[in-house]
Amino acid sequence: MIKDEKISEEQLNAFIDGELESEEINGVFDEAEQSAELDGRLCKQRKLKELVKHAYRDVPEPRRRTPVGRMPASMLGMAAVASLLLFLGAAAGMFFTQSLEQRSLQTGSESAATGQPVITSENYILHVSSGDPEQMQRALKMAKALLSSASSNTPRKVEVVANEKGLDLLRSDITQFTEEINYLASNRVVFYACSKSIQRLEEKGVVVRLVPEAIPGYTALDRVVLRMQDGWEYIKI
Amino acid sequence: MAYKKLLIISQRRAFRRLVANNRERLYRMAFAWTGDPQLADDLVQQTLLKALKNRKQLRDFAAAEGWLFRILANCLTDYRRAKREFLSGDNLELIDKVTPERRFREEELVQKVRQAVQRLPINHRQVVTLVDLEEFSYASVAQILDIPVGTVMSRLCRGRRALRQELLQTRSDEMLTPAINIKRVK
Repeated sequence: MIKDEKISEEQLNAFIDGELESEEINGVFDEAEQSAELDGRLCKQRKLKELVKHAYRDVPEPRRRTPVGRMPASMLGMAAVASLLLFLGAAAGMFFTQSLEQRSLQTGSESAATGQPVITSENYILHVSSGDPEQMQRALKMAKALLSSASSNTPRKVEVVANEKGLDLLRSDITQFTEEINYLASNRVVFYACSKSIQRLEEKGVVVRLVPEAIPGYTALDRVVLRMQDGWEYIKI
Repeated sequence: MAYKKLLIISQRRAFRRLVANNRERLYRMAFAWTGDPQLADDLVQQTLLKALKNRKQLRDFAAAEGWLFRILANCLTDYRRAKREFLSGDNLELIDKVTPERRFREEELVQKVRQAVQRLPINHRQVVTLVDLEEFSYASVAQILDIPVGTVMSRLCRGRRALRQELLQTRSDEMLTPAINIKRVK
């Protein structure tokens, strides 16, 4: 068995990983000139590194559901009706927006009296991942406070995204907050149920039923990143 | 006041770019560590959400990439601790069988390498992939995994030795027994 007495395995690795100083690099090159065996070892180490890189150049995409793909067939019809209503609602909304804002502002003065922290006039995405009802309640209170403290000139947008155990907030058969969700949704707070968390539960055989206000279209991360790209503020509850 | 606001906006933008630029890289690394696309995706989601939550802790954006990979490594540790189990090469084989690309010869090579990587102990697998896929320096890997540089080097040696034996059918390890210790690395 041939043993190379000059260059250790660690040194070879450091050489191919660019971790050596130039003096040591020269030393390895000099040795490789003298030894075909060392040269062979270097080639193999390089080949191995390239093989590993090559193996992960294109990695398989995770299985993700698209928003439409996740809708049951029965919901597609509802979606069409909803689109029509949305169109009609858009026209009607022009008349009702003002009153909604006024309502929101009225709530705002109440909330200000409760001593909520001062909040700047921006859009917010709140993220709930805890199954603790207190945390859920905190998220809903914060959503309400954010709406309340918005300036009347620039209505604030607020979204709540729930994932992992926090998804319970939006599960109709589990949540304790149906009324609060309904109230906030009627004040234009949008609720998103993480598609990945739904998928995980379904894979375990759990039938996931969501409150009607919940939109199951995105993973929590996708929604958060999307909104951050839009300049929204992210708050983890 | 205006300066402070501009700074906040600029930091926020930089963070968004950081997330956008690294999501794919983190996923690739998570896949290399777990061999499971779904689990890898979950880990990346957890990683980025944790990063978003703790973004104010990040003072030096130059170190941000290493910080993200460190969170990923911690997420994996948490996952393994919670599950008390981990995907082995056997699990990967099952996943491979449903991969359509397996029909092609080149893909077979890719799968062979991935299986060999999956068979490495997770500690070795993490070091090898961080160095080979992301070209992280030994010092960065040491920070990401919270281990000494010497441990990075020894794990890398063992990991690569195992891969070489499986993939390149090398001669005996004796040939590669270190004769002298390396004095320093960058």
